[in-house]
Amino acid sequence: MAAFPDPQWFAALGRLMEAEGELFRRLGYAEVRFVIKVIGENDDPVAPLVGLEFDGYRLARAVQLDDTAAFDPDFVICGRRPVWDRMLAEIARGGRPELRHTLSSLALVGDELWLESTDQLREDKFFRFNQTLQEFFNLSARLSR
Amino acid sequence: MPTVQIKDEARIGSEARYKYEPSAYLQKLYHSGTPDLGWMNQHGEWGVHARPGNLGLRLKDIEIGTYGVVPEKGGDHLSMAPRGAALPSDLPSLGFTVNQKAECWADNVMELYEEAVARQWSSARDIPWHELKPLPDDLERAMCQLCTFLTEVEFIAADAPTRWMSRINQDFLEVKLFLATQAMDEARHTEVFRKRALANGGGLGVASPPSEWSLKKIFDSPNFSAQTARLHLLGEGFVLTMFRQGEFLAPTRVDQEIFRRCMQDESRHVGYGTVHLREQLKSRPELAAEIHNELDDAEKILLQLFGVPEQVEPMAILMGGGLDHFDKGMELQGQLWRRIVNEYLQRCDSAGLDRRPRCLLPTDFNKFFEG
Repeated sequence: MAAFPDPQWFAALGRLMEAEGELFRRLGYAEVRFVIKVIGENDDPVAPLVGLEFDGYRLARAVQLDDTAAFDPDFVICGRRPVWDRMLAEIARGGRPELRHTLSSLALVGDELWLESTDQLREDKFFRFNQTLQEFFNLSARLSR
Repeated sequence: MPTVQIKDEARIGSEARYKYEPSAYLQKLYHSGTPDLGWMNQHGEWGVHARPGNLGLRLKDIEIGTYGVVPEKGGDHLSMAPRGAALPSDLPSLGFTVNQKAECWADNVMELYEEAVARQWSSARDIPWHELKPLPDDLERAMCQLCTFLTEVEFIAADAPTRWMSRINQDFLEVKLFLATQAMDEARHTEVFRKRALANGGGLGVASPPSEWSLKKIFDSPNFSAQTARLHLLGEGFVLTMFRQGEFLAPTRVDQEIFRRCMQDESRHVGYGTVHLREQLKSRPELAAEIHNELDDAEKILLQLFGVPEQVEPMAILMGGGLDHFDKGMELQGQLWRRIVNEYLQRCDSAGLDRRPRCLLPTDFNKFFEG
């Protein structure tokens, strides 16, 4: 099975998202396009960039990117490999990350995860759809079982 | 069909002060049984087929033909007649005073309205209240004081814009619809923080005069755009970061869920305010001077807010994880202050307002105490 951050790994979460249906409908739709960037110790990406697009209640796209600008994301979520791994391990154990290790909490302090965007208004979509994004990642608990 | 039984039917109207005379039309209908049907020939554009998209029939899907044309100036009739309907000549005016599109419009308003409707939540149903557990006294007191502040300030973002909502020309109904969702969001924020304060062995803390002054200034704004600058751009942007901090510092999952959901709502409000100002400044660049003046005052008041212990200390205690870690909490607060200022200035940039040279907010609070 594909591993994070392979696009196929996200596609598997997308299928779980559609199977969940009601949970995500209750959260409301999300229309947002963003990139996942996994960074190594020397600040270089250690995995190909992945572009994700939510179109309503489903993951419409999960693609490997050569050109971030062409994907025109609302924001890029950047994080070091161990931070992503820790979050996913906590999700695998408990269904959700520990309190201060959610996407929003990590991005708030900004030294473990951080956001990049050309426009604050577009970056704010990270907050507008945050519950959906977190629940999406939380579905990974089912992948690891 | 069985007759509906109405209590004391004989008494109904026995003391009525006016006698109703059926209209000539009703008399004719009653006596002849022939409908008039003249209304069938009075209508707006006809033969319209709005098509739903993958998320249903949204506002943007019905912005078609003449119905999709939002006028630069609202109808002179100043009535509640729907935009695009046939307009009789004797419509009463409701005296709307915001009649220019540029005074209230934002191009993302339909998107934000539909998103708001789709992403509503219930504090009773969606917050896992049963997971609340007793907290150490210092943390509970700090959380309750923070909730007191938030329940005190949140409803201004309903009270103030709805003062203007009733003055906005009905031809800009999409703006009014969005503001109605904002009022609902703020109602929910007001009650959820009140509930949180009363749910875990604490209670409400102390109200804050600096907060009240900032609310009064928002409430008394001289026009809608001035209010938008104070409220949506600075005030809600600041509260948005507080909600994000709340999600971070939450000592329980209950608190985290509350703050995360409020954060989502608040970012829609900020999104409307930023785009509204952007469009305002594009159409009336001279407005920048007035907006700067409003923000001069609003920033000053924001700094006053950070000059009282009931505002500074609860956040530091929660950030640090307890009174014993107050210094660590203050240090984290200082880091986050930079984020507040940075995001605020970036939103000003996005709105097309070069606020940087005039901004009163320091990027580093320590600067106040040096030299």
